[in-house]
Amino acid sequence: MKRPLRIHNLGGAKAFILHRPHPTVQALTRQLTAIGLTVEQVWPSLDAAALGADFVFFDADMGHDEQFPWSPGASPMPMIALIGSEAPGRIEWSLEAGAHAQMLKPVGDNGAYATLLVARAAFDAQAALSDEIAGLRRRLGERQTVIRAVTLLAARGETEAEAYDRLRQMAMAWRITLEDAAARVVAAGKDTNVSRLG
Amino acid sequence: MKRRVELGLLYSRSGSYSLIGQACRTGALAAIAQINADPDNALTFLPVERDPAGNIDHYAPLCAEILRETTAQHVIGCVTSWSRKEVIPVLEKLGGTLWYTVPYEGFEASDHVVYTHACPNQHLLPLLDWAMPHHGKRAYLTGSNYIWGWEMNRLARDIVQTAGGQILGERYLPIGSTDVARMIEEIRACRPDFIVNSLIGPSSYEFMSAYRALGGQDTAFHPARCPVLSCNLTEAELPALGDRAEGLIAAGPYFCGQQSWPGGSFGSSHEAATFVAVRELARLLSAKPQAKGLSDLLAGAGGVIDPDTHHTRLPVLIARVEQGAFRVIQHRGEIAGDPYLSRNREPAAPHLRVVS
Repeated sequence: MKRPLRIHNLGGAKAFILHRPHPTVQALTRQLTAIGLTVEQVWPSLDAAALGADFVFFDADMGHDEQFPWSPGASPMPMIALIGSEAPGRIEWSLEAGAHAQMLKPVGDNGAYATLLVARAAFDAQAALSDEIAGLRRRLGERQTVIRAVTLLAARGETEAEAYDRLRQMAMAWRITLEDAAARVVAAGKDTNVSRLG
Repeated sequence: MKRRVELGLLYSRSGSYSLIGQACRTGALAAIAQINADPDNALTFLPVERDPAGNIDHYAPLCAEILRETTAQHVIGCVTSWSRKEVIPVLEKLGGTLWYTVPYEGFEASDHVVYTHACPNQHLLPLLDWAMPHHGKRAYLTGSNYIWGWEMNRLARDIVQTAGGQILGERYLPIGSTDVARMIEEIRACRPDFIVNSLIGPSSYEFMSAYRALGGQDTAFHPARCPVLSCNLTEAELPALGDRAEGLIAAGPYFCGQQSWPGGSFGSSHEAATFVAVRELARLLSAKPQAKGLSDLLAGAGGVIDPDTHHTRLPVLIARVEQGAFRVIQHRGEIAGDPYLSRNREPAAPHLRVVS
């Protein structure tokens, strides 16, 4: 899958750095400011203001779930782990916290730009997949409705295949999904005559 | 008694980019001579020169040698992104600063580098902004096979397509290769409105030769119809190109004969931007003799260098090669360097001045 990176989209973005005051925060702030972001350092926890951030950098060494105003893995923006100790337990925690990318400490002269792009791309990909999965789940859950709608339509003397085809044409004419069309057919069939729909 | 400050110079005086390195060196030496001769200046510069002779593996060790074996903390040098990226780790380790004075592809803002020539919002963007209304939106992209060519063409593609234009072809040559026949055949077949040339050195010279020959056979490829655009070609390379450069359109902060910036007469923008780097360094060192490191030196110092990005506010000029010399065809005012293309674009319109 080719996803061309968009340019011009980091200017004015807001980054929160959840880390105690430290030279790593200074070095990272310098890099982010040069790239065009505004930066806020906070410790020991993020408050509701962080919900407006475009990126959150967090300390993986001293971090814990209670620092975030959202549930683990459910951040509304890309998250970047600042990793000092490469201990497996800390990596595991930062992944569960929802890291989309990481930077190793100490942060020096470079690395922030690549990390921002990687984190943004990972976050977007995850969000697109989540949307797709939610859509598929919903459609799976509506299978029963589709069967009922086809049965209702077939009751007018059509074969099952003809009824299914007609339902598909209704969905196309109404510009809605097959499942939503089925729901309309079922709802209409409950109170009045199905033929009103045709 | 003037304060004596050792200043590193790291330019190749031989090898394939020696013309550009020599132009930069000329600008640096001119600035040093001017500063040293000025009785009102509080310091004199003592140049410490090392010559990597065009060998990429010599840059980092020679930069380290300057920073370790002399008192120099500032090095003026490098004319390719490749060599700049080679010396940055040395600068970080030894606390030095590099003043990089040639155009580059942007997307960098090292804490140890000052960039005094143009980045894409000061060369490629204005150049395409000039070219598309004048010639059309169908572009062919060429480049040398390394970061300059790749990044310039990636940006050009993005900008042209966003403007509703088309990229008809994109082809690269290894650095040093003169095998341009396939590019020329593709250009002949697809008939673009303009060509972006991000080739360097002999590849670029050979391409310009072959394209001029093509223009001789078919007027569709005459520079007036389908010009070659360049963001790094200056007077420094015109003697190597001769007639082949006629009609080429370039963007840059300075062309020979311009009086407004940086003040004085220079052989090319490479020379001018290096001159500016040395002058600005002298000004900063005089204003803050006790400064600890580059950030401290730039903080609150004013001037043309942005302390956040270390990039420079520069004039943006579009010029065409006519009878062996660049003639400026558009002044676009001064624009601050925006290496990540993330800052608000400054309105170009109020500064526009067409020179016909």
